[in-house]
Amino acid sequence: MHIVRDLLDTAVVDRNGHPMGRADRVVVECREHAPPRVIAIEIGPGALAARVGRRSGYWIAWLLNAIGFGEGQRMRIGVRQFLRVTDRITVDVSFRDTAAATVERKLQAVVRSIPGARS
Amino acid sequence: MGVLADLALGVVTSIGGFVEAGSISTSAQAGAEFGFELLWAVAIAGAMLAMLTEMSGRLAIMSRRSLAAAIRERFGIHFHLVPLTAELVLDLLLLTAELGGAAIAITLLTGIDFRWWIVPIAVLVWAVLWVSGFAVIEDGIGLLGLVTLAFVVAALKMGPNVHDLARGFVPSLPGHHAVRYAFLVVSIIGATVSPYLLNFYSSGTLEEGMTRKVLWANTATTYAGNMFGTGVSMGVLITSAMVLHPGGVEIQSFDTAARMFAPVFGPWATTLFALALGVGCVGAALEITLNMGYLLAQVFGWSWGANRPRGDHARFSCAFTIVLVIAAAVAAIGFDPLRLTTLAVALTVVIMPLMVLPFLVLMNDTKFVKDRTNSSVGNAALALLTVLGALFALVVIPLEILGGG
Repeated sequence: MHIVRDLLDTAVVDRNGHPMGRADRVVVECREHAPPRVIAIEIGPGALAARVGRRSGYWIAWLLNAIGFGEGQRMRIGVRQFLRVTDRITVDVSFRDTAAATVERKLQAVVRSIPGARS
Repeated sequence: MGVLADLALGVVTSIGGFVEAGSISTSAQAGAEFGFELLWAVAIAGAMLAMLTEMSGRLAIMSRRSLAAAIRERFGIHFHLVPLTAELVLDLLLLTAELGGAAIAITLLTGIDFRWWIVPIAVLVWAVLWVSGFAVIEDGIGLLGLVTLAFVVAALKMGPNVHDLARGFVPSLPGHHAVRYAFLVVSIIGATVSPYLLNFYSSGTLEEGMTRKVLWANTATTYAGNMFGTGVSMGVLITSAMVLHPGGVEIQSFDTAARMFAPVFGPWATTLFALALGVGCVGAALEITLNMGYLLAQVFGWSWGANRPRGDHARFSCAFTIVLVIAAAVAAIGFDPLRLTTLAVALTVVIMPLMVLPFLVLMNDTKFVKDRTNSSVGNAALALLTVLGALFALVVIPLEILGGG
């Protein structure tokens, strides 16, 4: 497997096929006398902004906290939870049970209160 | 039979959805200032758009990804931030111009200042997007847009000289105002090959669930639809050339452009022009708004789609709502929609290589398009046209702004 080509930036879906985001960061463990190995991926605006630059990571985190979307802005998923890696990464997680779904739930509450959003 | 009916509908809607504020204003200006001389630029721009939309459909069918998603996956976020930011800024500018164009159309009918119509039009666009599925949005735009065939009817009724028309298809050096001529070439290409169309088309292909079995339908729809659509743009140019060019009229506003219909449609001229402009602009505003929602959702990996209740894709629904609010707020300030359109379409050509070159890499990557890679001739032609176009635009735009030529 090629980390950059097959993991980084690939779409991540939960066990029900619900989109969770993209593999915004890959966490690699460096070991003595052994090759480095991938131990997890990170998903979320916090992870993505931190990858782009330390300063942008700080500002995005501050902004999300300020508007009440701070929860679940960076979610780590271990490779042991990977079910399949094809053109997307399927993980053994239910999106609805994660902190990252908080933003989705808050926005859904607003969107569904607008007429026409349920049809 | 079902596929053939879909194909026919696809072609018809492509014709109806082809012209909007950018293509109407640039073709009308080209005809009024240079007669038939710039017909070749419209033809080349139409051919480029046909090639690019066919590719974006093929990419979506073969990879099951939209263009934006594929660029993020292939090139990573560090690279993607550049074309993504450029496209978001440009789409916002174009959306503002389309809202302004639609507002001007109502002003032509009512005489009430266009700024009063910006918010009602934005609300209309949002309401359509909020309650309609993708097919309703796409087919509705296309079928209502058939009113733009009025430009073709007008051109035919004016009876242009076939020999003069044929000469317009041969690229030539202008006899006067060389910088303006070059600027209009850039603007025609920018107005036709809008980057939003590529991601919108690939997303639409996924929304409609097109499969490898109907790759031929994708090719047929894009080439036939764009060919006939280009005919409508040519209708604008020809009518403008025959009506406005002899009097030396320069188009400074959409009201002046409306005069091109007077000899053919008499008392209905303004109404018909306003309808064509309004429907074209609202259609483009719907597509751009939806595309910005698609773009953000696909890049960040959110759930998206216009065929599910809006509450099911809350982040996508909020994203397109927010960009529409921003565009409406900017448009309501009262920028001249014609100037804004001119600026947006010229800038499109400058940033086009940022969109097209990575796209061409994808179209030759077997991970994405498998055995349906591009031909080397198509790659070379598109790469050359976009790079030369951008360099040309970088020279011409400052000269035009400085009033050279």
